[in-house]
Amino acid sequence: MIRDRTWGSRLTDTVILVILIVITLTCILPIWYTFSLSLSSNSAAAAGQVWLWPVGFNFNAYMQILKDTQFFGSFWISIQRVMLGAALNFIVVLLMAYPLSRSSQQFKARGVLMWILIFCMLFNGGLIPLYLTVKGLGLLNSIWALVLVGGAQTLVFNVILTVNFFRNLPKELDEAALVDGAGPWYSLFNIYLPLAVPVLATVTLFSIVYHWNEFLYGLIFMTREQYYPLQTYIQQLVVSVDPATMSEDQYRRLSELSNRTLDAAKIFIAMLPIMVVYPFLQRYFIHGITLGSVKE
Amino acid sequence: MKHTFKAAWIFSISAVLVLSACSGSEPTAESTAKETQTQNTEPADPYGRYEEPMTINIGMQVDPTDKDLPSGDTPLDNQYTRQIEEALNIKVEHAFTASAANMRQKISLAIASNDLPDALVVNAVELRQMVAAGQLADLTQVYERYASPEIKDIIEKTDGAALKSVTFDGKMYAIPGVQADADGIHIMWIRQDWLDKLGLEPPRTMEELENVARAFVEQDPDGNGISDTIGISGPQSGDGKMYANFLESKNNLFGFDAIFSAYGAYPGYWLDDGNGNPVYGSTLPETKEALSGLRDLYAKGLIDPEMAVREASDEPIINGKSGMFFAPWWMGYGPLTNAVKNNPKANWQAYALPLDADEAFRPHTATPSTEFVVVRKDYEHPEIPMKMLNNLFKNEMENTFDPSKGGPGFYPLRVVFAPSDEIEFTNKAIKEVLAGTKTKEDYAGDRSYKLLSSDLENITKIKQEPYDDWSIDTWTPDADWGAWTRAYSIMVGGNPLVETEMDRVNSMIYEQTPLMESRWVNLKKMEDEMFLKIVMGVAPIESFDQFVEDWKRQGGEQITREVAEALQQ
Amino acid sequence: MRIKGFDKHYYLMLLPGYLWLIVFSIVPMFGIVIAFQYFNPGKGVFHSDWAGLEHFRYMFVLKDTRQVFFNTLLIAVLKIIAHLIIPLIFALMLNELRQIVLKRWIQTIVYLPHFLSWVILGGIMLDLFSYNGPVNQLGALLGFSPTLFFAKAELFPWLVVGSDVWKEFGFNTIIYLAALTGINPALYEASGMDGASRWRSLWHITLPGIRTTAVLLTVLSLGNVLNAGFDQIFNLYNPLVYSTGDIIDTWVYRTGLLNLQYELATAVGVLKSLIGFILISISYYLAYRLINYRIF
Repeated sequence: MIRDRTWGSRLTDTVILVILIVITLTCILPIWYTFSLSLSSNSAAAAGQVWLWPVGFNFNAYMQILKDTQFFGSFWISIQRVMLGAALNFIVVLLMAYPLSRSSQQFKARGVLMWILIFCMLFNGGLIPLYLTVKGLGLLNSIWALVLVGGAQTLVFNVILTVNFFRNLPKELDEAALVDGAGPWYSLFNIYLPLAVPVLATVTLFSIVYHWNEFLYGLIFMTREQYYPLQTYIQQLVVSVDPATMSEDQYRRLSELSNRTLDAAKIFIAMLPIMVVYPFLQRYFIHGITLGSVKE
Repeated sequence: MKHTFKAAWIFSISAVLVLSACSGSEPTAESTAKETQTQNTEPADPYGRYEEPMTINIGMQVDPTDKDLPSGDTPLDNQYTRQIEEALNIKVEHAFTASAANMRQKISLAIASNDLPDALVVNAVELRQMVAAGQLADLTQVYERYASPEIKDIIEKTDGAALKSVTFDGKMYAIPGVQADADGIHIMWIRQDWLDKLGLEPPRTMEELENVARAFVEQDPDGNGISDTIGISGPQSGDGKMYANFLESKNNLFGFDAIFSAYGAYPGYWLDDGNGNPVYGSTLPETKEALSGLRDLYAKGLIDPEMAVREASDEPIINGKSGMFFAPWWMGYGPLTNAVKNNPKANWQAYALPLDADEAFRPHTATPSTEFVVVRKDYEHPEIPMKMLNNLFKNEMENTFDPSKGGPGFYPLRVVFAPSDEIEFTNKAIKEVLAGTKTKEDYAGDRSYKLLSSDLENITKIKQEPYDDWSIDTWTPDADWGAWTRAYSIMVGGNPLVETEMDRVNSMIYEQTPLMESRWVNLKKMEDEMFLKIVMGVAPIESFDQFVEDWKRQGGEQITREVAEALQQ
Repeated sequence: MRIKGFDKHYYLMLLPGYLWLIVFSIVPMFGIVIAFQYFNPGKGVFHSDWAGLEHFRYMFVLKDTRQVFFNTLLIAVLKIIAHLIIPLIFALMLNELRQIVLKRWIQTIVYLPHFLSWVILGGIMLDLFSYNGPVNQLGALLGFSPTLFFAKAELFPWLVVGSDVWKEFGFNTIIYLAALTGINPALYEASGMDGASRWRSLWHITLPGIRTTAVLLTVLSLGNVLNAGFDQIFNLYNPLVYSTGDIIDTWVYRTGLLNLQYELATAVGVLKSLIGFILISISYYLAYRLINYRIF
């Protein structure tokens, strides 16, 4: 791209650069701050002395977490949930997206089936019937409650994304497959699957992120703390405010009681898996999202 | 709140003394295993051990931040559960556990799915819902036969308020916990340095109160030569209230709660009309009388002329222009920190004053019973939870449990049968430590008072001798404002609570009834506006009678009937 | 073209997915009947007395629900507007940046917050804005007295919108960036030759180039008008800010699950789903009409 290199243009470039860097910093600094806080001494944290570097550097918070069996139990539950949830999501999304990406001429029921999906995405009977259903299936306290209930809620979105991706693939693919006499299973696994890597990586990333981040179902379907996934465990420790808090003073007293360094350390550890997985999947999801959602 | 839940574990020394004096007959240790479930009404042994091992499934609140249990112990296996198993032969199991913030949700799901644990601790709304759904066991017999004399004494001492809260259609469907709460007591905060300067005593009666307020207004107590001082602060515009009410029974700042009660008036509360029927305090003649008294004070310029107009009532207090206001104990967290920062000599002290015609301080209180132990309808041994409560109370009195091995929150089905006393306990502990009669280490075991050790550590930083004088010049807040805020609240604000004999007045109900949900907001608005107009002299005092009529006609009468029904259920 | 024998294979592929949705999404919808009952848990859903539209009528009388609908609309609409504009500006600035490596880095960092849960970010936010947290410390340097930000009802909606923009703006730029890369570079070159200033080419080439995308995103966001973000608000709010911060979803959660008004909560939930369904249908129609785009 050729542009004029005038003084004014360079000034604009510089200003833009500075703004971008400042904005980028605001994205990373809170996370960095949390990390510093987790390595600071309790008293420095309570007195609000921590900025960008740990004050009274120590690993106490992390040592404490190492001894916290509940934390690791919840961590492990979350890992299991993510693996099961993402695998199931991958398979079901692939299987559903292919037939639903056929045109209405190829597959008559498509329109109705799509609207059923939308209906499922929008309507729900609320948490109580959901609870009764899960309880009726005997899935309370089971990891399958988390995998299946949560998975069902995100399934529709992922299917739609993948359907759109498939529909954007060249029509010739299909015709070629038909000429070769390939059946639907063959064309799904041998023609579509290899091409669908970006979108499948994207929905897998979404599924991983969703299952890792979701906390409410853990709160509802698990009757004991030991079955909580990590986010639920952290939610009730760090953020939940008793609905009985009626005054600003109570709110302040409540926050004075919290252990900021320990909370920060827990938060930081809970972020880690996402930050580790994310760079690997990043290059796929940009592609996947844009192809899946926008079609010019 | 996590910490009050935990902090309420021990009984104030006086309560223990009174109660242990009450328990005349020591129970004998005979077995009661065979006499369960019969229709007999003879008292049974509250502490009797079962011959056969019993199991109870409960829903339990577990504080996830609480790491007090020794390693190896769990919420299901700790000193409390072991003691219960040993003393009563009862094995406790968990149907579910949840933190304070999530407990309601778990109970709600249990009710909705009609699948309750054998027993659990619930709040008033849940109790009503469970009774309406027919999910609970009738505990009338159980209470009669099994409740220990001490517990019966505490429950019955609430003038029946606690019992009424669990009685529906003449049957008792829960065991109510009982506690009072410091945030619900509104006391008088006054500029002691102004009193001293003008040669006055803290006002004990309404008459003296008027004199003091007049002196504050007329005799230039701040000595700036301008007549710019306020006698009594009033509520601010917007959220300001002249008095707390049965729905918001705590933490009313700059209201006139103590003045109303000096007239024997309790507007905003549901009182007993003398025959056990509920009557709304705002509609009673005492309230009219108190309003007329306030109207008089206001007309004389002794109450802040800008009350209810002011954006922030704390402003004149902070600026050293106000001499008196009414509020709960925690005013260090309120305007006093800034007031003292502004003027280090502003000597705000607190008193349980003014007194009523009988020379008594009779504050309205927050609800006595917020927690209830309920039992599932078809549970085979409905007396087990009662026995567990008896056992709890007895052992807390005898100090059997070591709180350092896990706070009392780990006792299954625990409800508090005593004043919630964090403020009072800390107040006394600080005094003991300052006096040298105890050391910080003596309180090392009281770990459920999460801030106690830091309170004891910090106190000498900010409080100087003499230790029996709490005037502002004996404090050094500059050393640590954070610590001072808390300590000043606890000591100066807590002293009246610790040192005053109080007759507390309860509301008969502390929850909304169904009709209130749609009507109450408007009724309350009408009440607030009318009373404000009366006090400020915009409406004649006679309009009070008109208000009472309007109130009744616009749903008040119906609501009163509903309240009576709710109480009789 | 339609191959007859393929349909049964298509149905076979769809079977697991729809089974999943039937059990965990459609079956729990029976709970909607609670909204039309005097639900008595002792009698259960099938034997409770019918209430007709009583709860819906009651809902419109309640001041509470009106406030909650208003809060939801306000927060959601502010979010929608912010999410349309801020990512656009950011994408345009990023597009001007010529240092490719730096651009990559910025993209990677600003996408990250999207993948962190509100449990985590709520924990960080509450700490950042706590009484002696960094924001108040910074304020103190500038001479402001400390404020309990998350206890102030008048500030809460702005904090919610602000933090949501902070979390999502990076991710939302993806689609704009994709649209920007779709613009033919020859157009810029031509305008550079003509000596057009950057502002002119921004106005005449860039903005028209992404107009379709912007319209599409606007239309699609219509479906979110009643979604103000349960996870976020649930993890940030407290009773002091209910007056301005309580939204339909949090209100339904509390009313149904904490205050035991099952019927009322369900009724409000049903109404919300209904409106959502209508809005989605409208946006489906508009997207098709305006820019010939099919959402699925």
